[in-house]
Amino acid sequence: MLSSKSSTFIQSIRNFKDLRKSVVVSRSFVHATQALQVPPTIIPSENADPAMKTYKYWNREEYARKGRYDYLIKVSPESIVKEAKILNLSDPDDEANEPLFDRLPFGASILETGTKLTDFDDILNNQQPNVVFVSPSCPMARKQLPLVLARFPTIEWVHVRSAGIDFVVSDELSQLPVTVTNAKGQFSSSLAEYAMMACSYFAKDLPRLLRQKRSKNWEKYDVEELRGKTLGIVGYGDIGRACAKLAHNYGMKIIALRRNPKLSAQDPYCSVVYGTDKKSLNQLMSESDYIVCSAPSTVETRGMVNADAFKAVKENAVFINLGRGPVIDEEALVEALKNGRLKGAALDVFSEEPLPSTNELWDLENVLISPHNMDQTATFMHEATEFFVFENLPRFICGKDLLNPVNPSLGY
Amino acid sequence: MSNTQYWNRETSTIKQYSTPVTQQANIICISDPNDKANQKLYEGNLEGAKILAIGSQMSDFDIDLLRASNANVIFASHPNSREPLKMLLQEIPSIQWIHCRSAGIDSIASEELASSSVLMTNAKGAFSSTLAEYTMMAIAYFAKDLPRLLKQKDDRNWEKYCIEEIRGKTLGVVGYGDIGRAAAKLAKAYGMTVKALRRNPQHSQDDPICDEVYSNDKTSLHRIMSESDYILCAAPLTPESKGMFDEEAFASAKKNCVFINVGRGPIVEESALIGALKNGHLKGAALDVVAIEPLPKDSELWDLPNVLISPHNMDMTETFTQEATEFFIEENLPRFVRNELLLNPVDKVAGY
Repeated sequence: MLSSKSSTFIQSIRNFKDLRKSVVVSRSFVHATQALQVPPTIIPSENADPAMKTYKYWNREEYARKGRYDYLIKVSPESIVKEAKILNLSDPDDEANEPLFDRLPFGASILETGTKLTDFDDILNNQQPNVVFVSPSCPMARKQLPLVLARFPTIEWVHVRSAGIDFVVSDELSQLPVTVTNAKGQFSSSLAEYAMMACSYFAKDLPRLLRQKRSKNWEKYDVEELRGKTLGIVGYGDIGRACAKLAHNYGMKIIALRRNPKLSAQDPYCSVVYGTDKKSLNQLMSESDYIVCSAPSTVETRGMVNADAFKAVKENAVFINLGRGPVIDEEALVEALKNGRLKGAALDVFSEEPLPSTNELWDLENVLISPHNMDQTATFMHEATEFFVFENLPRFICGKDLLNPVNPSLGY
Repeated sequence: MSNTQYWNRETSTIKQYSTPVTQQANIICISDPNDKANQKLYEGNLEGAKILAIGSQMSDFDIDLLRASNANVIFASHPNSREPLKMLLQEIPSIQWIHCRSAGIDSIASEELASSSVLMTNAKGAFSSTLAEYTMMAIAYFAKDLPRLLKQKDDRNWEKYCIEEIRGKTLGVVGYGDIGRAAAKLAKAYGMTVKALRRNPQHSQDDPICDEVYSNDKTSLHRIMSESDYILCAAPLTPESKGMFDEEAFASAKKNCVFINVGRGPIVEESALIGALKNGHLKGAALDVVAIEPLPKDSELWDLPNVLISPHNMDMTETFTQEATEFFIEENLPRFVRNELLLNPVDKVAGY
């Protein structure tokens, strides 16, 4: 049912009916058509296992019903329940946001783009924005977002373009009655590929191979297998699970750690799931040959992998961090690397980024450093915006539940 | 595709033997007596079997004694087994079975061997998973531009750049045996498209792991080269496969293709490979095997920045040769002494 009052909107509906005849059929259309033959699923249950294929969370590779609401709007505009009037809290030159400007679904419009409250001064009171789209390209997002929300109390929903929401959460945000969603599940497979590469980098002693090449030295040496080894995953979300899927195929044993271990009771990959208490963390560290840290940076996780945890590691363990730098105590990590407790580390994230050139990590031979780009494909940020444009925005317009809800007070 | 006649370290189940021994195995080892991996074999204690001799040169073997002792089995693990093997086959007609400790038999193959009637078995399936791991590492090495990462680290340069996904790319496996299939299995788990090329494509028609199978002819080879982002050569060295990757093959490669060789060096025309690497047609190569091993110091491959070289050790775990010997002791020897069908038969004429 149309509830909008603006005449331009109604006019555009009329135009749309003509437009519909010439709509381009894309692949997602075809998939969506097929998907629509199945009746829609109902309200998300609190007990839904995020490890299972559920409609509540998005996974780029596995989500079965892509684009279904985008398609729905195109074929039956009557399914539109409300308009989306969006404030884009991002850098106006952010190219990754292109899909916001040329492929918005019907019933949505960008009112203004800006990086601070004052950029939105021209928004008239009667325009009533109800959605905020925020990107990491907005430098002071943490401060600006609550200001924008306070100024425009009609805003119901904030979508964060990235998976990490640590750059935008605050106590103020936690207290506001808005729905917040993010890009969970968008970057997982690339990071899983990186995790396995990092494991093999140490197992096959790639540094030695490269040294030997430089000195034209043909010297055989024993390599290690990943098969049969144990991978411990700290923070078993979508990224952790994608790593588990690959590691499982390599024949590794997988143990995981998460706030709600019960949610992974049916997980086909892990043999053990621990909770986030200190004892469990140390236990996981002592059992793993390879540890992947994919936890978000929250009040609870900051500094969680500390000196005690590093002291508990198994001999010759390898530590991989692809979540957030602040989750580990970087000094304790450096110490463990220098005194040989850890065989090596592969780090895509750091407490300070860019990593200052004075940081000791640059000098340690047994560390693989990447500039927080192991999920950065040529299209990944565009795809993250497309997720908003083709998945969540149409859901909002049709009055359906949004994917990827996050809890600002929990931080993920 | 389960084939009970071939052994795979990960999937084959261990068989228990309860039936009695029906024939004695009298074993000649063409091996290094100091080879620790064969310790279990040399110690003796083998049910229904006896070690008659251990050596690697013709002079190590007392032919008359061996003939009188009814030697019927040869265990070959020495790299220079070709000549002693020829001689033993010629001089001792009682030899029924030769077991080659490695998977590749090219180092012991000869015309005499091919024309003899002895049974031959090998270590197919023993090294596959480790090589599959190496294959995925080699793919990631180029996809995530590991060389660039390492250079940036040397320069303390924090410079973000775009990486490639492995998901969605195509892996072409040339030589779809146990090793090829293990790599394909991992590639599939990563979300790659897998295409295979083998002499008998009909054997892989129903294989759920590969999306397309080609037969072994030039057109098909050029086609798989043109369709794959990554090419894995996991073929054995036979008269047919020798030099199969020539200039024409590399010229048909897809732009930015990465070539990985875990089979045998001579399957590739090395000068053609070097040419394709230098003129940028190939993005890079990862070679665990080369034409001459050890790779001579004057080979250009050492100097090319887009080549990952390993000293034919990417399947060399601490225990792998030991496990290969154990396969002989625990799987095929018990079968032989009970007159049962042996695992991993080798087609001596085909060469693999």
